[in-house]
Amino acid sequence: MLISVTTFWTILLIIHGLLAIALLGALTHQAMSVLLPVRQAAGPAGFVTRFRAVQGAGYATAICLLWILTFLMGAWIYVKYRIYIRIPIEQAGFWKTQGFFELKEHAASLGLGLLPIYWYMWKNAQNPDYDGARKSVTVLLAFICWFNFLVGHVLNNVRGFGS
Amino acid sequence: MTTTTAGKTTTARATPAAKSPASASRLASSIKFKTFAVAFGIVFPVMYVACEWWNLPLFTFHPATNRVDFWWAAGRSGEGPAMYWYGWTVTSLLVGLVVGGLATLLPESVTRKLPLFLVWLLPVLGFIPLAYSLMPFWTK
Repeated sequence: MLISVTTFWTILLIIHGLLAIALLGALTHQAMSVLLPVRQAAGPAGFVTRFRAVQGAGYATAICLLWILTFLMGAWIYVKYRIYIRIPIEQAGFWKTQGFFELKEHAASLGLGLLPIYWYMWKNAQNPDYDGARKSVTVLLAFICWFNFLVGHVLNNVRGFGS
Repeated sequence: MTTTTAGKTTTARATPAAKSPASASRLASSIKFKTFAVAFGIVFPVMYVACEWWNLPLFTFHPATNRVDFWWAAGRSGEGPAMYWYGWTVTSLLVGLVVGGLATLLPESVTRKLPLFLVWLLPVLGFIPLAYSLMPFWTK
């Protein structure tokens, strides 16, 4: 075997994390563009203005694909997590940490269920009937993504693969 | 919605992909897909919460032995824990797909009345029973 089992699962975890970072960036740009849209020219655009001035519709398909890929990678490494990470976390008494992981898995699934309508509403972004729902769904997905990212990060600090 | 990028004014809603019918996919312009997506978006969180609350996984996975049981199964002694999250998610996906598909068969006059706000409100509300069901983790 070229690499050890631990290294293999660590690589998968890193891929999961990198996909999550790409998703986080795209969703944050998009959420900012609907929460704080840039409405008029007011001198030279600064960093924050450029950050929220993205054209959100162009991100929709990539965000759906990234969510699905991140979800599948997470579902894959969850198999090992359940035995090699969760059991020691419980033995160490980190119950709240584990509780947040449980909430993370629920949030990831609920986000998955939002993707078809999210994609449809962004692909029809010219229709003002969808503006309110599109904004809410986008912000919700961004919130879930941030929550899951931070929980995953903390969990990896508590006990990562190979520790 | 007008946006400004480095002094250049553009219209955020009217992106090339959204504006041009030629570049928009047939799926994105399909009323049936919209009906499916709304119905799926409403049914999925309801089913997921129901699956978690009443423990209704389509299958149970035992990671230590790679064994899969249909429906719900307890973890066996000496064989490690049982995992239900995969089963809850797949149950919710399948029910969502079926109900979403059936909704496309309804007349447009009916499907147009499906409330769009439910697609974001139900997942938000779903977090309440989901977080509550984790009470043992919060109170230990």
